[in-house]
Amino acid sequence: MSGLVPVLIIVLAAIFGAVYMANVFRRYRRNIAVGGLVGAASATAGALLVMLPLNFCTFEPERQTIDRVFGFLLLAIGVGLVLWPVNWFIRQRFEGNPLFATQTQPGAFKGWLTPALLLLPTLAILAIFLYYPIFDTFSLSVLLARLGARRSVFVCVDNFTSLVTDPSYHNTVIITLFISFAIVIIGLALGLLVASMAYQPITGARIYRTLLIWPYAISPAVAGVIFLLLFNPAGGFINYVLSNTFGFSVPWLQDPTAARWAIIATSVWKSMGFNILFYIAGLQNVPNDLKESAAIDGANALQRFWYVTFPLLSPITFFLIITNMTYAFFETFATIDNLTRGGPLNATTTMMYRIYQIGFVNQDLGKAAAQSIVLFVMVIGLTVLQFRSTGSRVTYGA
Amino acid sequence: MQKRNRAFFLCLLLMGLVLAAPVAAQDEPIDVVAWFAFTDYRLDWLQEKAAAFNEQFPQYNVTIEGFANYEELFTSTTLAAEQNSLPAIIQYFEVATQDALDSGYFKPVAEAIGDREEINGVEVALDDIVQPASAYYTIGGQWSSMPFNTSSAIWFSDMNVLRAAGIEEPPATWGEVDAACEAIMALDNAPQYCWTFPNHGWFFEQWLGQQNALFANNDNGRSARATEVVFNSEAGLAVLEWLDDQAEKGYLYYSGTQGGGSWSTAQQPFLTGQVAMVAFSSSDTAPFTETGAENGLDVVASFLPYNEETGWTGNLIGGASLWLVDGLAPEVEDGALTFLLWLINTENAAEWHQVTGYIPIRESAVEMLTEAGWFEENPNFIVASEQLAQSEVTPATSGAVLGAFPAIRDIVTQAIDTVLLTDEDPATVLEQAAREANQTLEEYNLLNAPEE
Repeated sequence: MSGLVPVLIIVLAAIFGAVYMANVFRRYRRNIAVGGLVGAASATAGALLVMLPLNFCTFEPERQTIDRVFGFLLLAIGVGLVLWPVNWFIRQRFEGNPLFATQTQPGAFKGWLTPALLLLPTLAILAIFLYYPIFDTFSLSVLLARLGARRSVFVCVDNFTSLVTDPSYHNTVIITLFISFAIVIIGLALGLLVASMAYQPITGARIYRTLLIWPYAISPAVAGVIFLLLFNPAGGFINYVLSNTFGFSVPWLQDPTAARWAIIATSVWKSMGFNILFYIAGLQNVPNDLKESAAIDGANALQRFWYVTFPLLSPITFFLIITNMTYAFFETFATIDNLTRGGPLNATTTMMYRIYQIGFVNQDLGKAAAQSIVLFVMVIGLTVLQFRSTGSRVTYGA
Repeated sequence: MQKRNRAFFLCLLLMGLVLAAPVAAQDEPIDVVAWFAFTDYRLDWLQEKAAAFNEQFPQYNVTIEGFANYEELFTSTTLAAEQNSLPAIIQYFEVATQDALDSGYFKPVAEAIGDREEINGVEVALDDIVQPASAYYTIGGQWSSMPFNTSSAIWFSDMNVLRAAGIEEPPATWGEVDAACEAIMALDNAPQYCWTFPNHGWFFEQWLGQQNALFANNDNGRSARATEVVFNSEAGLAVLEWLDDQAEKGYLYYSGTQGGGSWSTAQQPFLTGQVAMVAFSSSDTAPFTETGAENGLDVVASFLPYNEETGWTGNLIGGASLWLVDGLAPEVEDGALTFLLWLINTENAAEWHQVTGYIPIRESAVEMLTEAGWFEENPNFIVASEQLAQSEVTPATSGAVLGAFPAIRDIVTQAIDTVLLTDEDPATVLEQAAREANQTLEEYNLLNAPEE
């Protein structure tokens, strides 16, 4: 796109950056003009960073309001991405903080060459297997592209904006959040319950523990197949037991609600071993004298657990929330694929499964890329949120 | 002296080995890899045949690799093409025909054969292929792929249950299915449900074709590239409404599984007696008849019931054909062609029919089987061939050729899923499906159609 609009947008971004940084410089009693210049330059760079690859397409006259809103959102992200580190760097300088750890810390490298060399292999692997695919995903997400097709067409941010008005996508997001939270909450609660029983010093404790952790060694795909047989509405074991003892059976894989719970149950069972393992380890580290003194003070078993043991387990819980969340978002795929294939009525189509269906089954790469970016942003957001909210309350002990 | 001698001999030996290596390499058979979408007894049969072929033609080494279903093989092929690791032969299901033509991965078999009448002593004789298959796979007047497993959708009934309900003949129309189900479900020892079908887009296409209704414009994509789907017609709506009605009455069992995974979820309830009738592919006539008999069922195959209000024009084929990958080394290409032609020679075509139920692909194979009295002894096996032979050839019954058909099929099964499981109006659901399908088709044509 050419013409006045891009210039106007860049100027807008530059003014914002200038005002912001001038303000920062003013607070530190430095030259406001320099601050304005730094701010304008970094904001311009940020705006160009997001807008050049898109060629300012979101602001083309024939685009809709939603595209423009999305354009401004991107602009804000781009400006923020550059302005934020610049701002941080300058504040550190003004406050006289050293940027890198100085030699006061024992065992630190003196120069930068050795650490850089040592980091190189890791960085190379990250670049090839992580950053390059991410970059590729970003460039695919603005295309109409099919696997094996002759051409691809640039469609601006249509792949994203069409999601905003797509009720089936909203549905997918809600289902994903529901299934994920249910897996995390139920998985952790059950894991803790079983672990607090299994860590008791009883005869054969080792055997119990090994048996409890066993399911974790099974791959999600195998778990899916096992539960497919168990949940099978016609000849499955679960319905056999239900109809023999209670006289009713559940159409596990045909009813949307039941299917969702079938997925949750399978995933919880699958991740349980992992949770138990960590909770047992955590419970063994809870000092006995704390529990004893609480007991002497008259606390009952429940109170001892809730006020002494549980807070001391918070680092483990926090760690497990994050790993379970990642598991629920990304690794339930094989379970879903084997149990329900996203059905019935898309009731078990999570965001991850939908990406697979669109990208591999329908071979529509552009839309799949856009949706995986949405998922990527969502998981980053959730992790940040968790660090903010839970992180402050986690006690790592003295 | 002794030492030097030994060194000399060692050198000589080495030289000899180096010289002999290329000679040995020339004796190595040429590798021909073929991908098939089977994992069951059909894969076993193919592997046996490949072994027999390798024995008969020691200059070649054909290996068969199996994939879970057509959909999965289709995806794997596209991914393999991206990485330049395609085999020599790939089995593509019929609906991927347009995608295969547009992909540029394949060479039309007619072009590879040229004007040769035989290859390595195996006769070409493509004019011997039965008409429904040649109608489907000759595109633009030329054989694009080698027909192999061709089937049609037929109907299996457990006559034990039907007779108990006082019905002597399998139902021929939708109305008769309904009447039969009423009688069956009224039995004291009635099965759980009356009938079922795999929720695979193919059955919707069959019921559409029977009513002489098109799936896509431009004569089902046969007179020109299809640019729009037209299945949201009265005929299409009639199919959805009929299925909806059958499910509502509790006659139709729906497993909730769609597409490639739905076959087994329809086969199992029939063979275990939970339903009395099933719409299925003729491809499994053999296991249906045999396992049915083992389980105490009296399995009789018949034509797929049709809508009596619009009449029966004909049914379309299904199954898959074998595509020759383009850009193979000439000797590999010849090996692949030899195997393809050998695999569908009269004897093998007849045997393949007998072990599965796919129609005999050659006229000569039909003759051979008739003379041997096969069809008289096994009446279930003639049903699919008869149904296709009696079909009037129209664009509707020839089957649709359109881009992104595998993805569009998923949209159709999704619509059927919605109709069967919710109270939503079938007309609205069908319209929505057509809109989605049109968008997919438009995007496909925009990206994949070769420049004119």
